[in-house]
Parts: sequence; C-alpha cells; structure tokens
Amino acid sequence: MEDDVPGGPLRRMSSRIRRVAPKMVAALASSDNREQAALARLEALESDNAFAEVMEVSSEEDDSLDGDGQAHMQRRQSKNMKRKTRQGKAMENAKRAPRTFIEILHDANLEALPRHVPTYLRAAVGPPSASARRYFCAVCGFAACYTCVRCGARFCSCRCQVIHNETRCLKFIS
Amino acid sequence: MSSSSGVIVLDNGGGLCKAGFGGDRDPVAVVPNCLGRPAGAGGKRWMVADQLLAPEVDVTSLALRRPFDRGYLINTDLQREVWDRVLRGLLHADPAHTSLLLVEPLFNIPSIQRATDELVFEDFGFQSFYVADSPSLVHLYEASRCPALATAQCSLVVDCGFSFTHAAPVLQNFTLNYGARRLDLGGKALTNYLKELVSYRSVNVMDETFIIDDAKEKLCFVSLDVTRDLHLARRSGKDNPFKCTYVLPDGITCTKGFVKDKDEAWRFLSSRDVQSLPLAATREGTAHLEDTEKAKDRRIDLTKNEFNMTNERFLVPEMIFRPADLGMNEAGLAECVVRAVHACHPHLHPVLFESIILTGGSTLFPQFAERLQQELRPLIRDDYRLKIITQEDPILGVWRGGSLLASSPDFEEMCVTKLEYEEFGSARCRRRFFH
Repeated sequence: MEDDVPGGPLRRMSSRIRRVAPKMVAALASSDNREQAALARLEALESDNAFAEVMEVSSEEDDSLDGDGQAHMQRRQSKNMKRKTRQGKAMENAKRAPRTFIEILHDANLEALPRHVPTYLRAAVGPPSASARRYFCAVCGFAACYTCVRCGARFCSCRCQVIHNETRCLKFIS
Repeated sequence: MSSSSGVIVLDNGGGLCKAGFGGDRDPVAVVPNCLGRPAGAGGKRWMVADQLLAPEVDVTSLALRRPFDRGYLINTDLQREVWDRVLRGLLHADPAHTSLLLVEPLFNIPSIQRATDELVFEDFGFQSFYVADSPSLVHLYEASRCPALATAQCSLVVDCGFSFTHAAPVLQNFTLNYGARRLDLGGKALTNYLKELVSYRSVNVMDETFIIDDAKEKLCFVSLDVTRDLHLARRSGKDNPFKCTYVLPDGITCTKGFVKDKDEAWRFLSSRDVQSLPLAATREGTAHLEDTEKAKDRRIDLTKNEFNMTNERFLVPEMIFRPADLGMNEAGLAECVVRAVHACHPHLHPVLFESIILTGGSTLFPQFAERLQQELRPLIRDDYRLKIITQEDPILGVWRGGSLLASSPDFEEMCVTKLEYEEFGSARCRRRFFH
C-alpha cells in the first residue's frame, strides 16, 4: 500500500534509490530531448539557406557621422534624429528580413477552413501505414542493432560505438 | 530572340529557374534560382543565377541565398534580382510587351500569390500573366506525345523536385487538388543529408552545397534490394562495387569537383547481381597482387581533398522511399502515390495507375522508376495494370508543357491583363486560374 504512494516518505527508501531517482526523472525527460533533437535535425535537412542569414546593417551611415568630426552641437542635435533613424532602420530591417514559410503558413490560418477544402496542410501525405523504421549505424551507415544508452543514436559494432562515443555522442542533445 | 510568340514561360522552381519563350522546345536559361557569394576575399558581390555556373567561378564555400523556403516563394526581393538577371540579361525580353506564364507550386498561399502578382505586374510590368501548376503542364506535354494518354485524359503526375514531392492526379488538364499528396522530401533534403553524412565520415563539407549537389547527381542511385546492396557495400577494396571517390575542387587545377574513375563507379549497373558475386570471389585468389596495387591507387590521397562513398550512394535516395528511416513520420513515395489515387473517384483508379508520369530532377537517380514499380505493385490490386512513364528530360518536363500551352491559340484569352489587375486587384484575378 505504502509503495503505491508516489513520492512517498523518503525515509523508507534506500539511499541508492534516493540518489538515482532524480537521475531517472532526468532520463525520462531526456526522451523528450531526443525527440527535440530529432526534430531539429529534420529541420536542418529542410533548411534552404545553408548559412544563417545575417542581415547586414549598413554601418556606413554611422561611420560618416563619426568620421565627419563635427562639433558637439551637431551631434547633440542629431541625437534626436538618430533615435528616429535607428527605429526606422529597425522597421526597415523587419520589413526586409524575409518571413519564413512557417510564419507565412501560420498567418494564412489554413486550419480555419472547412475540412473539405484542400490546403497545404491537408495535402501532407501522413504517417506510414505498414513499414517499420529501419535503423542505420550513425557512424558507418550499415544496419544497426545497438542503441547508445546516452543519446539514443544507433550503431552496429563495438568499433563504431567507440567512434560514436568519442565524436558525436550527445551532440544533438546538449 | 526567337521567332515564336511573345510569351515568356517561367518555371520558377526552388532549385532551378527555367525560362524561355513559348513555342520553343527548350528553355533559353536553366539557372540556379539563388544568389551566391564566395566566402573568402573578394566576396563582396553577390553573383546571380547564371553567373554561378561560369566555369571560372570558385564554388567552394559559396554562401547561398534562395528566394524559396520549403518550395514557396518567400523573398520577393531576391526573386526580383534573379528574374531581372534572367529576363533582361539572358532572354533580352521587354516585359511591357510580353505575357508571362508562371508555374507555381500547388497549394500556394494567398499572401504569397499576392506578393507574386505584385512582383509580376508592378515591378516588372508584364502585359499579361497566367499561372499554371506543374502537374497539369506535365500531363499536357506527355499527352501530346503519347496517344494512349491523350485518350485516357488523365494521369498521375509524380513531381519529385527540389523542395518536396507531389503526387497529383490530373483529369482533363486540370489538377485534382483534393487528390494531391505531398511528401516533404526533395533534392534539397537529400543533398543536406549527404552533406551531413560526408561531413561526419570524411571531410567537412557542410558549407559546400553546390559541390555536394554535384556529387549527389553524379553518384547516387536507387537500390533495388537494400539488404543485398548493404552486404555488397561491406566488402573491402576492389570487391566493393559501390566504392568510389569524389575529388573536391582545389581552386588551382580544378574549380569543379569530379568523380574519379567514372566507369568504375557505375560498373555494377552493367554487371548485375548474379555475376558480380562469384566473380569477385574467384578473382581474389588469382589476382591478389594486382588488387593490392590497385587498392593503393584507390586509397584516399591525402594531398588532394577527396572523399569515398560506399553505402551513402544508395542510402541517401532511399529516404524518398522510406522517410521513416530518417525519423520522419511520413509515408514513402509508393504509399504517397497510392493515397493520391485513392482520394479520387474509384472509376479513375485503374486509369491513374496505368499512367503514372515521373517528373522533377530527383527522379533522375538511376533505377528510380524500377524501384517505384517494385514498391507499388504489392500495394495495388492484381487486375490493375501498372505503368510508369519516365520523361526524357524530367527537369524540363514542366517547362515544355508550359511552352506548349503558351503556343496554343487561346492562351491570351486565359491570361489576366495588367489592366484587369489594376482594376480588380489580385484576389479577383486569381479566381480565373481556379486556384
């Protein structure tokens, strides 16, 4: 009976359980982490622009202001102006920075349409019906029958496990 | 300028932008739809479209910016740059006196359509404008070549492109959009996957999108029997039929990557399964010395930047048929096709299975059609015939359909003119295209 009570009196647990329990909780939570990592990886596969887009704010304007060596007066005057321009620049940047497709899709609010209307969302093919997932070794690519206990990646042999542990283990998680 | 009609046909894909004049057989320009900038010094200027293909351009660590995200146009500024280059620089066309036939992806989102209309009419000032979708154009083109398709009047178009794959039924030149199914895998995802694999296993190529794209096109193929091929790929040295080497450009002697021993890389396709197995075993004893010498050649040359590929060659395109292996919760291509067909009226099923057309650049992998046939057969009824039609040039298939449509006499009537756009606005004009 007492065992059924979750998180019951700590006194009754052995010290080992007490030590391990939080770790178990963390491990359970980490399955969620693994999912997140897998999703992030799929996201990376879809990325169109190989490089993170860095919007270059043209620094020329700032340079010219400083480089002119103008008097204090002007600078103080320009302070007010500057705030405006900075705001304006931000606005411009916001306008210039392209929205991602996901954002556009979200704004389009396709969920609101009735069920029978074919949309981007309803055209997705959906989960597979029959085939089970096959696993391939993360290191060499051959069929893998072992799972890494720390990160959930797959490997096929001891050799690959060693390589995996040295190089990539937890790479996608931490 | 060609002698044909004043219609510009533009198949604006996520990867390649195909542009030319209606009525022609081939487009004038097939260029990457992106802007690129070299990483090192002198990398101030963005190169547009065809400039990236010039032989002297160093493609290593090219920073790319694409106007497309997940197959849809999101950045009209970049698109304007590319179109400007293509239309004015390569086609030498004057938009004010020409019509435009633009190919849009299926299920385009209204806000993107509006932005596209703005780009077409306000930035470029085209005289008139027509929007088509790729499945109907492919059907149109194939029906003009194949009388059986013309009488059937319907087909199932599998468009395996850069950003995604669509299986869409077409009936009497209209795409049945309630039947279309999308698989979120295309050439781009495969390239990125190959990039990831190669970077982990041999050389870091995470920044070399162009080069890995090239390696993928030259070396990847679809396996007809994955387990057997995996066994074969395990062999070492010369016995391994799939092992091949891709040499990265070094910027001095070569600016483009290439495959070492091209014939060697594809010999397994000619000497198929039964022969290759015992042959390799008997040769082992007799020509051992020779083998070791050859093996020396085949070993990675450290002075050059190159990488070996074995099982990656078929495991990468394999993902289109089994996305689940990648961790995606999506059905494979064969099931995608079946679902697309089953969404239509039952009377159409046998006809659709009999006329499956493959188009798009990712169907160019060797043995793609055979594998699809092999996977589809068990999924459909015994008494249905199954026929897969491959296009002679899958990349240009859509464009040629567009060219055909543009040269038809009543094309101008279907268009929306600039005047109509100015009067009624975008949404109203779009209704004409039945989207």
